[in-house]
Amino acid sequence: MEKYILKNGIEAIIKRNKNTPRIALAMYMGINKDETKSGIYYIISQLMYQGTKTKTAEEIAVYLDENAIDLCIEKKADYLRIKLQCLNEDIEKALEILEDIIQNSTFEAYKKEAEKIKGEFLSDLDSAKIIAQDDYYRHIFQNHSYGTGRQEIINEINLITKEDIINSYNEVKDNSKKNICIIGDIDETKIKQLLDKHLSDLKNAKTKDERKKIIPIENKTISTVEKEDANQAQIFQGWLFPSIYSEEYASIILLNTILGSSGLSSRLFLELREKQGLAYTVRSVYEPCMQGGHFFVYIGTEPKNIKTSIIGFDKEINKIMTEIISNEELENAKNNAIGKRQFYQETNMSEAVLKGYYEFLGLGYTFEEELIEKIKKITAEEIMQTAKKYFDKPAVISVLAPKKYLTESALIC
Amino acid sequence: MKNIKKNIIEYPYLEKPVEVYERENGHKIVFAYKKGGLINISSWVKTGSINENDINNGISHFLEHLMFKGTSKHKAGEFDRTLESRGAIVNAATWKDYTFYYVTIPKGSSDKNFNDTLNLHADMMLDPVIPDNEIGAPFDLNDPHITTKRERHVVIEEIRMRKDQPWTKVYNLLNKNLYKNHPYKRDVIGNEQIISQISRETVLEYYKTHYTPNNITTIIVGEIEPAQVLPLICEEFDFKERTNAPQTIYEIDKPENETKVVEDYSKINTGFLMFGYLGPKACDIKTSTILEMICLILGQGQSSRFYQELIEKPKNPIFNIISSDYYHFRDGGNIFIDANFKPEKKEEAIEQIKAQIKKLYTEGINEQELKKAKKKLKAGFAENSETVSDIGENIGFYMTVCNKLEYVEEYIKVIDEITLEDIKQTAKEFIDINHAVIAVLMPEEYKK
Repeated sequence: MEKYILKNGIEAIIKRNKNTPRIALAMYMGINKDETKSGIYYIISQLMYQGTKTKTAEEIAVYLDENAIDLCIEKKADYLRIKLQCLNEDIEKALEILEDIIQNSTFEAYKKEAEKIKGEFLSDLDSAKIIAQDDYYRHIFQNHSYGTGRQEIINEINLITKEDIINSYNEVKDNSKKNICIIGDIDETKIKQLLDKHLSDLKNAKTKDERKKIIPIENKTISTVEKEDANQAQIFQGWLFPSIYSEEYASIILLNTILGSSGLSSRLFLELREKQGLAYTVRSVYEPCMQGGHFFVYIGTEPKNIKTSIIGFDKEINKIMTEIISNEELENAKNNAIGKRQFYQETNMSEAVLKGYYEFLGLGYTFEEELIEKIKKITAEEIMQTAKKYFDKPAVISVLAPKKYLTESALIC
Repeated sequence: MKNIKKNIIEYPYLEKPVEVYERENGHKIVFAYKKGGLINISSWVKTGSINENDINNGISHFLEHLMFKGTSKHKAGEFDRTLESRGAIVNAATWKDYTFYYVTIPKGSSDKNFNDTLNLHADMMLDPVIPDNEIGAPFDLNDPHITTKRERHVVIEEIRMRKDQPWTKVYNLLNKNLYKNHPYKRDVIGNEQIISQISRETVLEYYKTHYTPNNITTIIVGEIEPAQVLPLICEEFDFKERTNAPQTIYEIDKPENETKVVEDYSKINTGFLMFGYLGPKACDIKTSTILEMICLILGQGQSSRFYQELIEKPKNPIFNIISSDYYHFRDGGNIFIDANFKPEKKEEAIEQIKAQIKKLYTEGINEQELKKAKKKLKAGFAENSETVSDIGENIGFYMTVCNKLEYVEEYIKVIDEITLEDIKQTAKEFIDINHAVIAVLMPEEYKK
């Protein structure tokens, strides 16, 4: 593995994984400015498939499919991420189309795309879980771009003009940090030449985040969404947490493992599912972004169980804040978290995404090894301190259920 | 080793051939070599909703949950805790033709993780005790005073969860109308009434009937030397004198003679629909592959006919989402078209899909589409060879649903040999518009 600097200063991590049939490339392009209208960056990500100066949308689609090139452009909280994957023999064709869409997208079809996005999001909002999740994000990241949900985008997407799109895209293309990670059975010399040939006309810049900052949650917030035909209540309870840059990042990973990030042996799973039979899905999630993160617990349960579930959450959160975890549980959590991290790098694409992400954040592509060493050193006291520090702050609770179950006595425990 | 048959299979995109062993009792063991730090161990059982009836529908899936509730040697939770504390992913899944249990675990620097995983996995497969206090007593769904909630309630919550998913609702509506008699007509998860009442004895009896050596394939994927671990696997999987299950044979239903439309309503904003057709048996690899190709051309990717003709090109498209897919089942697969659309345009939506289908079997496809479909299918196979769990699942599918892994050797050759005429004829035979079952889920305000 090596770091190669393209002629324009963009850093590329290049790694050869022998005997793998497909090459994977992940490219990160930073977002430094807030959207002037909700959905601009999302519509940009979708319009990049919709035509360049020399190719129509159909021609791009045919080119990709004929060559079995997977192209995925994602709008994330802090960046646009392009994932490109192809059979080894087609890497040059894949980089040609990547160059074309980055440099020459016309964004002509924006009105049509806006209608398509509205349709897709309306369809998403027929899911009770997505409605509740959007409501939760809206409240935990109040008035911040991290909290923009599907409904806000549906409401504003028709107000977006072509000029808005081009201005925002140029800002990303010309004034933001970019980096690349490419992994596969590749000839390193040839790949360097190809990257320079196809991507060195791009401008690189340092990330200067001009977006609004996350607003602290001052008071406990309970938001309810009525859905009369819901068979299950959807409950999200979350807190603002620090970003990946935090010194506490490793202890939060362990906190999340112990509470319920994955698997069948976490505390929430054992208590709320296995012992109380309240749910099929119950878990915890920690999402770190550049400005900050959040940590939430989730359960889908019969509506009459709302109170029992919230009490169950409170009990487990309180326990991890006040009772020191045993050495055995700590060691199990460390081995669990460290072992699971191997899955994040099992395929060329998952490895490219992870290493590219660390580079984008400025942590360096070797951050994974450093993180594992940090996890190994975390103590039970540190986990309890981290839990106290963040869970003691006001929470946001978002509950979706039929109206008759959204009573004060069920929600305020 | 004595009395064990060995077969070697050339598996595309893997470094070494796959080794398949069959023991005298019928238990199959498969090894696939994949370099890397992870190992996948799974056991596939030839039972699912295919072996269920109206009385016990959902029992295969319920048993899958209960298999994690301990053995004579290990209490409930020990299996999960021991393996997850070493970074493993542990889970199981139930479908129409099979139930499978898997562990994917970091190999570690010694054989300990592999040996311990194998020991625990085999123990779980062979000696589930299903304690009363874990399954919970049968109960009345209308009784509001139930306080002790056990695994029955977890499965009932899973059923509730699925009721809130529009795609699952429209799929279930379609599925039960695609068949008249075949057990495939039932929802794999069953219903609350059955799960709340089914007894521990019934579940154990079902286990004894179907979890037999001839019904089980154990698959190991990773950096493993088969000769070293085969004796260990045979030792761990000691079925003793367990009687083999009789092989069930069901006649698949005949396709509908005319288009059948079924409709349901929900509190939603958009319309959901699915077209469904009956396909060939999974072991008819050539026809199944042609149907995969047809689905790819019709509705997978942005260059597909559905996407281009029904979303991209119309000025005001009716569809928000439209795609097609082919599902392989032992007794006969399904061709599906899934669409989400503007509800006020329901009739037009159905007619537009029908027109695209008709065009396929009257005009066929062109060389460019055929070439694209071949390349994408091969790339898809390469993609499914990237992780130990995907390789394990692919092998499990062939061993369990198609009954032999040899088909995998032919797959690339079969793709290469498919012609334009094959596509046209197969479309005519299986996707004739008069044989379609169409399920539609509409917003409640459209209820007449």
